[in-house]
Amino acid sequence: MMSSAVLQEAQPTGIVGELYARFPGEGLVEQATADGMPTLWVPASKLLAVMKTLKRELRQPYRMLYDLTAVDERQRQHRSGLPPADFTVVYQLLSIERNADVRIKVALSGDAPCCPSVTGLWLNANWYEREVWDLFGIRFDGHPHLVRIMMPRTWDGHPLRKDHFARATEAERLVMDQARVEREQEALKIDPAEWGMREVAEDHDTMVLNLGPNHPSVHGVFRIMLQLDGEQIVQAVPDIGYHHRGAEKMGERQSWHTYIPYTDRIDYLGGVMNNLPYLMAIERMAGITVPPRAQTIRVMLCEFFRITSHLLFYGTYAQDVGSMSPVFFMFVDRQKAYDVIEAITGFRMHPAWFRIGGVAADLPNGWERLVREFLDWMPKRLKDYEKMALKNTILKRRSVGIGTYSTQDAIDWGVTGPGLRATGLAFDWRKARPYSGYEQFDFEVPTGNNGDVYDRCVVRVEEIRQSLRIIEQCLDHMPSGDYKARHPLTTPPIKDRTMQDIETLIHHFLNVSWGPVIPAGECTMTVEATKGLNSYYLTSDGGTASYRTRIRTPSFPHLQMIPYISRGLMVPDLIAIIASIDFVMADVDR
Amino acid sequence: MDYSLKRMDDPGAAPSLDEQVRKSVFLGKLEDLAHHAVNWGRKNSLWPFNFGLSCCYVEMATAFTSTHDLARFGSEVIRATPRQSDVIVISGTPFLKMAPVIKLLYEQMLEPKWVISMGSCANSGGMYDIYSVVQGVDKILPVDVYISGCPPRPEAFLQALILLQKSIQSERRPLSWMVGPQGVTKTPALSMRDARHADRMAATDLRTPDDV
Repeated sequence: MMSSAVLQEAQPTGIVGELYARFPGEGLVEQATADGMPTLWVPASKLLAVMKTLKRELRQPYRMLYDLTAVDERQRQHRSGLPPADFTVVYQLLSIERNADVRIKVALSGDAPCCPSVTGLWLNANWYEREVWDLFGIRFDGHPHLVRIMMPRTWDGHPLRKDHFARATEAERLVMDQARVEREQEALKIDPAEWGMREVAEDHDTMVLNLGPNHPSVHGVFRIMLQLDGEQIVQAVPDIGYHHRGAEKMGERQSWHTYIPYTDRIDYLGGVMNNLPYLMAIERMAGITVPPRAQTIRVMLCEFFRITSHLLFYGTYAQDVGSMSPVFFMFVDRQKAYDVIEAITGFRMHPAWFRIGGVAADLPNGWERLVREFLDWMPKRLKDYEKMALKNTILKRRSVGIGTYSTQDAIDWGVTGPGLRATGLAFDWRKARPYSGYEQFDFEVPTGNNGDVYDRCVVRVEEIRQSLRIIEQCLDHMPSGDYKARHPLTTPPIKDRTMQDIETLIHHFLNVSWGPVIPAGECTMTVEATKGLNSYYLTSDGGTASYRTRIRTPSFPHLQMIPYISRGLMVPDLIAIIASIDFVMADVDR
Repeated sequence: MDYSLKRMDDPGAAPSLDEQVRKSVFLGKLEDLAHHAVNWGRKNSLWPFNFGLSCCYVEMATAFTSTHDLARFGSEVIRATPRQSDVIVISGTPFLKMAPVIKLLYEQMLEPKWVISMGSCANSGGMYDIYSVVQGVDKILPVDVYISGCPPRPEAFLQALILLQKSIQSERRPLSWMVGPQGVTKTPALSMRDARHADRMAATDLRTPDDV
């Protein structure tokens, strides 16, 4: 596969051609990938110049740093033709004007690799580079504060390196005695100077307040260090990593098939929607075409989970700004949605029901009635909530004009999903790059005007209505046919022909015993998840498990923006902002 | 209470002396009674700590809302501080970075206090045998009830609460540091797998997943 991966001979076109023209003879190497995304290897010395060109100098520039990660290449077999590297830093940029992505790679060598920092170009590179330092031990020259972000400060080693242990049971047995607790607590202590908290005035002091990691209104294990002048926020420093479950390392251990349940637990309110980008990436590398019925079933289930997730947001958001009742009503609706989901998939929150090449089972008899009942139930409830919540004066006073940011800010910080659309930009992946048959559905992309807390809520409420429209179309036009592709790598394979010929029997036996072997290659697939754009960047080395699983989640950059939008506001405004972002910590720390 | 209606003029209607004594005089040990009353009060006002770690917390929160209505068990009073709560539900994955925090929060709770471990991660690490996860919260805290599931249903959480209430009812804690023997006596934990084994093995008809 990879021997033909390098396309140096052909005349490159598009963005790669543009960069070749601007940097002739500078050692740029193009790489072909399964997803067809323009991928270019750039020498570390030229990185900043290339990035500056991409962000600022091109016509229709790539203004969003969509993802920044790394790969430990030291054990990779299939990489002929690629520049030699021990570690690779991978940047993915997004241009909304072009509706296109580009992937830039930098090859690094040695045990203590070092790469120039792009924090001068993109504000949101800060956390991404800290994460790569923490998990891979790659230094970034010029980073303002390169410290661990996921692991405790007392940790030794860089877990995503191939030579680092994966299992907790491989490590020394944990002893959490008094001395250990004290040591760890000491490491969690806030040093105001470290985070740039300086006194603001001569005549009075500011106060440092620790919010979290367990606090009722931070929605999970999330901590914010606050510097307060009275009740006004001078500085807010988010501290994450309390929910790091090593999902990316887990991808290197589980087979392609058995990793599916782990994806459910990334955005744990998104259920099967998390399976989709992962499976789409595998299916692209394996060359599987998913039958229309399976695609439509997938879309229907994804939209159900979008509704349950948005309902939870709606209820907790109302609660965080002081309205106690809505959450009780909305959880009843969630219960109704789960009744349908459970009847179809057999589980509530994490069904892990999608499979490589389709879904786990066909829809049960009588599913239409259940879906129809839900579609009849929901709209009138949403109407009630409008009076109960959206038009409520207190809720409005707490949220209109609070936590405002512009479309430009959102792009600078890597904000996607409802948070981006609330600023007025109708950028929805389901419309921009339709997947799984979304191009056949009739729905609108709701947008806001002001990009404030209130608009972020209004956009999500309207999205619930659009999801109901999509589900209705699934119900009315569910295609017939297979619920799983008839491809040898479909897992588990369709069994009916296994007893007919030996070839199918062998494939079946191998696929259910050690699992499918996915051809070597790289692929990124993205979906419009409940909270924004969610991507899986998979690297296969031609084995039964992924060589590297990178999960780009929307909530990670969203939280990074908190200091920027909360400065100068009051503490209760911060709570409203946190509620309006709609994140789950598993989607941040993975 | 047992009672029956009889005619007034029926000579056999008047209860015998023994019967009257049995019905109107309570005989018992004051100590047992006091323990019984205190335990009854404790088990019916278990105030949970508002604490959640990950996915399981969503199902736990679902148990608090109208459909499942935790108020029926006197446990709807969620406390935001460990000092006012009686039970901490470890609902989610005990992360390594979070472990010292969990331990500290538990220590800040006042006695008597109980721990429910909700879901596979809290029980044993579950599907996350990975560098950043503590393999079961019982490595750092004593656990009273384990709930299986990933995540467990809200009904399972309610069942755990009922089991915990039962266990609290039969528990012996000193009524005061001046009264009786000190130390806590608990009844041995019950294995639901063993308790239900016979019923489960007797099941022959399982519902098909092909119909809703």
